Amino acid sequence: MIDDTFLEQLRNDARQLQYEPDDLMTTRIAARVRARVSEEAAGGIAQLLARWFRPVVVSLAALSLAAVVGVGWLELSPEPAPGLDAVSSSQTVDVSVGGDVFSVE
Amino acid sequence: MMSATSMFGGASVGSLALDRSVFTAERAQTRSATNEDPIEARAITAVKAGDAGSYGYLVSKYTKRVVSIAWGIVRNAADAEDLAQEAFVKAYENIARFKSGEPFGPWIYRIVTNLGLDLIKHRKRFRHEEITDAAPAERRDRADLPAITNELAARIDRAIESLPEMQRIVARLYLVEQFGHTEIAAMTKLTEGTVRSHLSLARGKLKEKLADLHGGNND
Repeated sequence: MIDDTFLEQLRNDARQLQYEPDDLMTTRIAARVRARVSEEAAGGIAQLLARWFRPVVVSLAALSLAAVVGVGWLELSPEPAPGLDAVSSSQTVDVSVGGDVFSVE
Repeated sequence: MMSATSMFGGASVGSLALDRSVFTAERAQTRSATNEDPIEARAITAVKAGDAGSYGYLVSKYTKRVVSIAWGIVRNAADAEDLAQEAFVKAYENIARFKSGEPFGPWIYRIVTNLGLDLIKHRKRFRHEEITDAAPAERRDRADLPAITNELAARIDRAIESLPEMQRIVARLYLVEQFGHTEIAAMTKLTEGTVRSHLSLARGKLKEKLADLHGGNND
């Protein structure tokens, strides 16, 4: 049991050892906390806006980059690749029916 | 004692009517541990809702006690001031996590105690200051000591300061700051059993040093 008379008497006497900050210190602390809290509050709004705008800006930047790359690639391509029509018109297909061979274009 | 309104300019605390002089922070501080201070409860609600100005009331109400706790741990006025400031800012940053209806005191005391313990660990790690359990009293800056006017208090102070670190902190919180075991356990993140153990060890050493003051026949 530690809550004995000795400790309780000591507790009564030790109470006066509490540190008493002077008015200057308490005022300084209050002022600094107020300044920091104001910064936090302002920073909070900025962070909120940043939270919303950052993904939008990133998305727009990604779209812009994709568009620029796409357009650049199209412009650099010398000729369009031949399509199905071009292939089909330039080649003939031989079809064998009953021993006769027909050429189909 | 300054009121919250005067310390924080009173600009954004109008909604709380904190300028009612009857509710000075110091008077409210004398109330019991449960949150029976309606101004404090309203200030917390307002701060949670984004009214940063209302935080001034809480700062004003708890500054002295917070500085005293910090000073007891770091034994240096400048560090105690910085710790108090950091504790209030940290509490503000985490105010959303604070349970409404509970008193603000235990929460801010816990924060400042942990910051103080972190500072001590940091000092030890980087050897910014010589801290040994053998001579902890030597590290304090004598200019920062409060004016201890009588020999009894001075002897008790020296005896507490001669204790090993955690015994010293627990003993100081119990004897000087008048906290209970449960409160100290919450503040220091120790178990209540460990707090009692530290206090018991501290008691033995204090009794040796101060036996002539309070006797020593009540084991």
